Amino acid sequence: MNSIVATLVSGILLGSLYALMASGLSVVWTTLGVFNFAHGALMMIGAYAAWTVSEGMGLGLLPGILAGVAVAALCGIVIEYLLIRPFYGTRHMLLVTVMTTLAALIILEKGAQLIWGAKLKQLPRLVTGDVSIFGATISWHEAIIILLAPIVLLLLWRFTAMTNRGRSLRAVGQNQDSAALIGIDVPYAFAIAFGLAAALAGLTGALLGSIRFITPVMGSEPLVKAMIVVIFGGLGSLGATAGAAYVIGLLEAFLILWLGLYWTPFALFLLMIAVLIFRPNGLFGRA
Amino acid sequence: MTTSLRRFAPLFALALLLVVPFLATDSYTRHLFIIAFIYAIVAANWNLSLGYCGVFNFGHLTFFGVGVYTAAIAAKTFGITPWLAIPLGGITAAGAAFLIAAPVARLKGIYVVLVTFAVSQLAMQLVLSQSQITGGGEGMVRIPYLQLGDYSFIRDFKFGYYYVALGLLVLSTLFLRFVVQSPFGKALLAVRDAQDYSTARGISVSRQRILVLVLSAIFTGIAGGFYAIYLRVASPEVFGFGTMSLVLSMVLLGGVGTLYGPIAAALALTFLTEALAGIQGFEEARFIVVAVVMVLILRLAPGGLVSLLDRLRPSRPAS
Repeated sequence: MNSIVATLVSGILLGSLYALMASGLSVVWTTLGVFNFAHGALMMIGAYAAWTVSEGMGLGLLPGILAGVAVAALCGIVIEYLLIRPFYGTRHMLLVTVMTTLAALIILEKGAQLIWGAKLKQLPRLVTGDVSIFGATISWHEAIIILLAPIVLLLLWRFTAMTNRGRSLRAVGQNQDSAALIGIDVPYAFAIAFGLAAALAGLTGALLGSIRFITPVMGSEPLVKAMIVVIFGGLGSLGATAGAAYVIGLLEAFLILWLGLYWTPFALFLLMIAVLIFRPNGLFGRA
Repeated sequence: MTTSLRRFAPLFALALLLVVPFLATDSYTRHLFIIAFIYAIVAANWNLSLGYCGVFNFGHLTFFGVGVYTAAIAAKTFGITPWLAIPLGGITAAGAAFLIAAPVARLKGIYVVLVTFAVSQLAMQLVLSQSQITGGGEGMVRIPYLQLGDYSFIRDFKFGYYYVALGLLVLSTLFLRFVVQSPFGKALLAVRDAQDYSTARGISVSRQRILVLVLSAIFTGIAGGFYAIYLRVASPEVFGFGTMSLVLSMVLLGGVGTLYGPIAAALALTFLTEALAGIQGFEEARFIVVAVVMVLILRLAPGGLVSLLDRLRPSRPAS
């Protein structure tokens, strides 16, 4: 009984992290039609920036997290401007932007290694101490992540569904020409979408930097998991992506309980293949 | 004039490469050529699926890695002669390609990228987790080397290895030439350039994609097998971003959808990155240079450097 509760809680924690990651991918995809391979690397940059401000300069964790979000957002806007914008409307845009964001990933990873070195780093926790949920013990920091993720997702959903600026992102995603005709600044919308997604990645990184080690390659495993999430959920809608993130998180936690750490990635992957054979646009996706 | 030049340029280049070991007698220069030949095989075969068929395959290095580990395990664990372990890499790589291709053939656009990419990450996970078979993160070392009778191919400053690598490259190129010029190759271009029309004329796109992925894996796997036997190590790095971006930049630099471009680009980029690696503090930063080169090619010459040369020439010669 106890192990099931513990697995549930750790699954929800994983799901929260995947939801924060994958929602950024989804925002960029629905607005720009670009799959951002550098998303995990932006998360890593957020963690390092948070560490530099919090530990390196000794300014404390909250300013650190804010700095992580800001630096990641800035990097995202720069990536959009230099590596995405020149290729809008070209024939092979999807393929080309996969390659340019891969290039961005390599530049960020190797750059981080040059700047911060190979030594493992870690952030302090937001709140020290543990909390017990129905007999399962997790740290307060992890509990805060679990609580924070739905709030952030809800704010993001409110932004894209209810504000004019958020709606303009969706309009641009649906039809750029019509959006431009009704007076939406399309390049500005692209920059907003990319910056917003990068900020989400930076936040995830800064939060994750307290419970895992910060390394230049810390973003690649969450990126692959976020990929599995968007394959399950389809890239098209925020709600489906977030839902899929929690499903995958819980599934992963239970698979680890039953199959062990080694075989879990395979089981997840086989499941993903099975889903794609029957639903080529994702489990909840539409054509 | 130009066409005959084009026809004979590869033969001329081959003749040059045949005499290189007599001009470059040191083992380091030959080593660079051998590595460049291996990358050239991988890049040219990737171009078959990516450039000719238009499959957004980002797991091509998986086939290479499968070849590397097949040869390593066959030669070291099972004691199979390296001469057999190398082609064995091609067979298992083709098998792996078939398994991946079956679900991928039905997918479209970004989902092809995601699945093929996830496969390569999964392969890396498999290698890392099955450490009693693969050596895990440390990899496998001291894999048996090539020898003929008592003659080890590493001797005489890698003289033997140079010609084995060159021979593999020639075989791979002849194979790709045969595939591209066959009716099947023509059908590939037809689907890539006008999918609806070709399907209407009775070409099965999914069957074609499966076949292309399997064909492109054969020599990639053999190159991987040779890589393991030549370097005598197999490490999970072959599945990583670094190797992938390097080979991808070769495909791009050489020109997507050309036969000889990636080979020339592989030679150029191998020597460039090795020169950079020699500079103090550039061992890691060279990958940044490769990434920047990749973006610049996409930005300035999307057809590769070959297309730049074509642009310099008058498009329609005065008759």
